Amino acid sequence: MNPNAVIISGGSRGLGLVLVKHVLARGCAVATFARSATPDMAALAKEFPDRFLFEPFDSANTAAMDTFVGKVFAKWGGIYGLVNNAAIGQDHLLANMPVEVIGQLLDVNLKAPILLTRAVVRRMLLGGGGRIVNITSICGQRGYAALTVYSATKGGMDAFTRSLARELGGRGIWVNSIAPGFFPSAMSSSLAARQLDTIRRRTPTERLCKEEDLLPVLDTLLFAESNITGMTYVVDGGSSI
Amino acid sequence: MKRSDILQLLQEILKRQGKPSDVAETAELSAIGFRSLDFSELALRVETASGRPLTFDAAPLRAIRTVADVLDFLQTASGQP
Repeated sequence: MNPNAVIISGGSRGLGLVLVKHVLARGCAVATFARSATPDMAALAKEFPDRFLFEPFDSANTAAMDTFVGKVFAKWGGIYGLVNNAAIGQDHLLANMPVEVIGQLLDVNLKAPILLTRAVVRRMLLGGGGRIVNITSICGQRGYAALTVYSATKGGMDAFTRSLARELGGRGIWVNSIAPGFFPSAMSSSLAARQLDTIRRRTPTERLCKEEDLLPVLDTLLFAESNITGMTYVVDGGSSI
Repeated sequence: MKRSDILQLLQEILKRQGKPSDVAETAELSAIGFRSLDFSELALRVETASGRPLTFDAAPLRAIRTVADVLDFLQTASGQP
């Protein structure tokens, strides 16, 4: 088994892209997927022809996801790590939220990572351990209007993390979550600028999250012999204390 | 899948963990250190070998006490009682 093959979902842009580049820089082989290719994916494929794999598909496409995991396993002879990063955001009051959007959020943010994890765990159990890191959100622990269903999915993934850690700890498979605060861009674009200013003012470090803030925690959870499992690490500048 | 083949897979799982692998069908799972995740791995290996997807509830597993119980369960689940 290649002890360094890592799957990162949703790695074509934003936080996922930062995670992909970082894990590649650590010398690992990285496989990622997202709804569509970006120029960054082509550039990484050119730069790391033997250590990088990208495939375009929606994480709600569970059949494609299962095939992808099998392909990664076959390509590198094992899967050491999984980072569940792919997610979609929300900007709706629940009472006015289209039912279809609720379904999409549950599918992409909760069902898909659970099924991806299942597919990977089936390989890890036969291979001798591994690391799973779920990227969740401070929304899983704190309340934010217009982010109700998103919060439910992230809180659900934190709960999934704890129970899966219980289930798999005996086989050297460690499962943890990183719960970032709000980023100025991308996923938190659903928050109005005024809301972000309020969060920033109330944050002890006086700034919102940067994608890079997560990397030291990711390194610990993916690579260190830490004996840490079942935990959720909040990276939010202390805004939730 | 033949009972003896499943038993061999079970023994290999124990052996990889440095546990005594020469176990009789009457052996209690608790006595030989065969735990729920070992059962999960064994089911995955039976699934791979038989080519039949195996899914099952956790409840019946709690009634499994001996190696024979494991073999009975997986033989039935894999379609070859």
